[in-house]
Amino acid sequence: MTTAEKIGADERLIQGFSKNKAQLPGSKRIASLREQAILDFQKLGLPGRKSEEYKYSNVQPLFKEEASLVNTNLPAANGFSIEQFQLPGLKENTAVLVNGVFSPAHSSLNKLPKGVIVCSLKEAFSKNEKLVEQHYSKYAQSGTDAFLALSTSFAGDGVFVYVPDNTIAEQAIHIISVVTGSTPSLIFPRNLFIIGKNSGVQIVESFAAHALSAKSICIAVTEVFVDENAKAQYYKLQEDSGSASLISATHARQERNSHFDTNTVTLSGEWIRNNLEIALEGENCETHLNGLFLTEGKQHVDNHTLVDHRKPHCQSNQLYKGILGDKSTGVFNGKIFVRPDAQKTNAYQSSRNILLSDDASINTKPQLEIYADDVKCSHGSTTGQLNEDAMFYLRSRGLSTDSARNLLLSAFANDVLETVRIKELKDHLDELVRKRLEK
Amino acid sequence: MASGNDILKEHISSDYKYGFSSDIEMETAPKGLNEDIVRFISKKKNEPEWMLESRLKAFRHWLTMEEPRHWPHLQFPKIDYQDIIYYAAPKKKTEVKSLDEVDPELLATFSKLGISLEEQKRLVGMQSTIAVDAVFDSVSVKTTFRETLLEKGIIFCSFSEAVHDHPELIKKYMGSVVPYTDNYFAALNAAVFSDGSFCYIPKGVRCPMELSTYFRINTAGTGQFERTLIIADEGAYVSYLEGCTAPQRDENQLHAAVVEIISHRNAEVKYSTVQNWYPGDKNGKGGVYNFVTKRGICLEENSKISWTQVETGSAITWKYPSVILKGDNAIGEFYSVAVTNNFQQADTGTKMIHLGKNTRSTIVSKGISAGKSNNSYRGLVRVAKGASNARNYSQCDSLLMGDKCGAHTFPYIEIKDKSAVVEHEATTSKIGEDQIFYCKQRGIDTEKAVSLIVNGYCKEVLNQLPMEFAVEAQKLLAVSLEGSVG
Repeated sequence: MTTAEKIGADERLIQGFSKNKAQLPGSKRIASLREQAILDFQKLGLPGRKSEEYKYSNVQPLFKEEASLVNTNLPAANGFSIEQFQLPGLKENTAVLVNGVFSPAHSSLNKLPKGVIVCSLKEAFSKNEKLVEQHYSKYAQSGTDAFLALSTSFAGDGVFVYVPDNTIAEQAIHIISVVTGSTPSLIFPRNLFIIGKNSGVQIVESFAAHALSAKSICIAVTEVFVDENAKAQYYKLQEDSGSASLISATHARQERNSHFDTNTVTLSGEWIRNNLEIALEGENCETHLNGLFLTEGKQHVDNHTLVDHRKPHCQSNQLYKGILGDKSTGVFNGKIFVRPDAQKTNAYQSSRNILLSDDASINTKPQLEIYADDVKCSHGSTTGQLNEDAMFYLRSRGLSTDSARNLLLSAFANDVLETVRIKELKDHLDELVRKRLEK
Repeated sequence: MASGNDILKEHISSDYKYGFSSDIEMETAPKGLNEDIVRFISKKKNEPEWMLESRLKAFRHWLTMEEPRHWPHLQFPKIDYQDIIYYAAPKKKTEVKSLDEVDPELLATFSKLGISLEEQKRLVGMQSTIAVDAVFDSVSVKTTFRETLLEKGIIFCSFSEAVHDHPELIKKYMGSVVPYTDNYFAALNAAVFSDGSFCYIPKGVRCPMELSTYFRINTAGTGQFERTLIIADEGAYVSYLEGCTAPQRDENQLHAAVVEIISHRNAEVKYSTVQNWYPGDKNGKGGVYNFVTKRGICLEENSKISWTQVETGSAITWKYPSVILKGDNAIGEFYSVAVTNNFQQADTGTKMIHLGKNTRSTIVSKGISAGKSNNSYRGLVRVAKGASNARNYSQCDSLLMGDKCGAHTFPYIEIKDKSAVVEHEATTSKIGEDQIFYCKQRGIDTEKAVSLIVNGYCKEVLNQLPMEFAVEAQKLLAVSLEGSVG
């Protein structure tokens, strides 16, 4: 491409949409959502430096290079074994996405209880039209964020999970999202989880890269609907390889008496942004948002949360911890929003960070926006280094500097990890964190 | 100290007791803003060429800027900058040698406000003396105790006088902390600022009395754009107070001031504000837009700057008194009570920029929202790379009274040094029913109980105020919250 022909990233994406839209799956209604979303994107554009929501994360350089849009066709490079990404104890129900496209060959979904559906979103577009229509693009609204708009325009596949009323899925569902390839790519996996009344489910999603030799940007959006009295846990494990960037958004809607927990653990990946939005739409809901990020090299990890208290008597709790090394940068921006009706809200938020290197930096912005008076809300944010007294104590007991340091850091990380309720996953995470700290 | 009865009495009688306007013959510039107006102001003030140049430079830059609208948590209609009078001065000559030459109507105005311009008199019931620079609309009317201060080498005068008498200091320091490029309102101020106070404390001098500026907007349709510059040389100390009021008017008046503080080696500056501009009526009509840039720099080692503010007035407050901690071991402090009632909006906080080694900063912010108001704390703590052993502690608490108001917290924390220890805490709550119940059971009625609890809640900040101001502030808190408990 010559310089004269060079056009902005926004324009390129919009053109890419008109070129590709004919091949994108879904009913007429989905197609009209796509059209609306691209209009939204046109209005919003990729966020610039002045955007308050992306103040500390510069998006523009990511989209400087041309990337090919990967859509509904399964790429050729799928000659790998999925076993390397599976977790012990979580092998029975595995749904695999390769470059954002559901891969039946890699997936095994054998132990699902009766009535539970786990399939590709593309399939759900045609087979479960009614459910999709009821929930799709309702919680992640394309007019609110440029990346949501892009996802709604382009996304053609992902994982669809439906748990009917009064059903407990004993076995966790493991979604593995693999990126691979040798050309720069832009992928849009999109998940929709619907959890019926009085039901329960645990979902783990891993982001990993395989033999990736070019830059890739993954814009992953997940919508979760948690109906009355339901309980859901959603774990995200991000261990992409070096050149992968990830913009992942989770938008959950909770109905009365429901319980939703998320846990986001970020270990690798070049540029990561996590948007997590939870709308408490019914009374007496409870939600816990936990996150841990360990960064090194020139990594950038940005965690954004928004808990929207819309109804009274709800409780939310956020705990985010970061350990930053080398030249990495971290961001935490958490927002608690309490609407005028949401009396008797209890909302807490805590962000704790440790800087290990002089070149690492952390920006935090814990926000409270409160419009109701009978509430208890608080947030705390601390940044510091390892406590000298604690180090001295351990050293005086004969521990080497390294093991004392590792012990303190793993204790710091453990506050988040101990909220993981799946034992196998917790063991796996402990191991990953331990290995990482020993490096 | 004012007794409980006084506070109660005041409760019943007052809405906004400074809402009167004075009938004084004024000389004003025509409405609107262009280079001619800037030249007009400069000419009126008989300024040297370099001052005019700096004004024009700022004005031209201002034209290229945009109002800060996308980030503050504020809503206000478009301001028509061509519909404001940028210069208004009492017609009688302003260079006064003695009090006899001051327009008696002016004197009456200030005495009504409880500000004595007579040097022998003291503020009602107070033991200490305060030197006052009274600014009426665009010009400084009278600065008291100048001679006494001059004996110690302290320069305390109006900004315009300083431009003539101490151009070297003005040239050196003006714009060094808040350059005209800083933000929209700072640029506007640099172009059209009318007057303000100037204060220089020489090496090793501890200022023997509190210095104070009193601002009063009077003329309708005017904006007030004053500039304050305080320089504390090595080892100096000064405590500075600022108060302000405006008449009750239906329209919104713009106040865009700039305050710059420079603190040299071992020097300390304590700056206290009780801001009581007219907040608008119960329906949100009228009131002052208070868009102010205040910033201090701890230039060298062991210097200290402390901001204390009690914000009860203004329809809209947009204000972030900041400290740049450049020298090693420098200390920055920010204590704030912001009260909003009815339709008031406040977006206020601070910035602590840690650049030197072993720098420390403390932020204590107490927000109280009542009625249909919105009260936001917005603060930045930045630790630059190499600012080793920086320490910050921030605490911001919000109190909500009623279910129609909002309380918000927007802290920005940017850390680029691993040895930094930064803590931030924020809470939001309402006055406990058990607390009110306890007071009522002891025979204290609800309104008084609220006043008592609020004062206790703000104590940490009020304790930082000089005594005269603390009493004033306590009363003000009670008045501002009147009728907010139902």
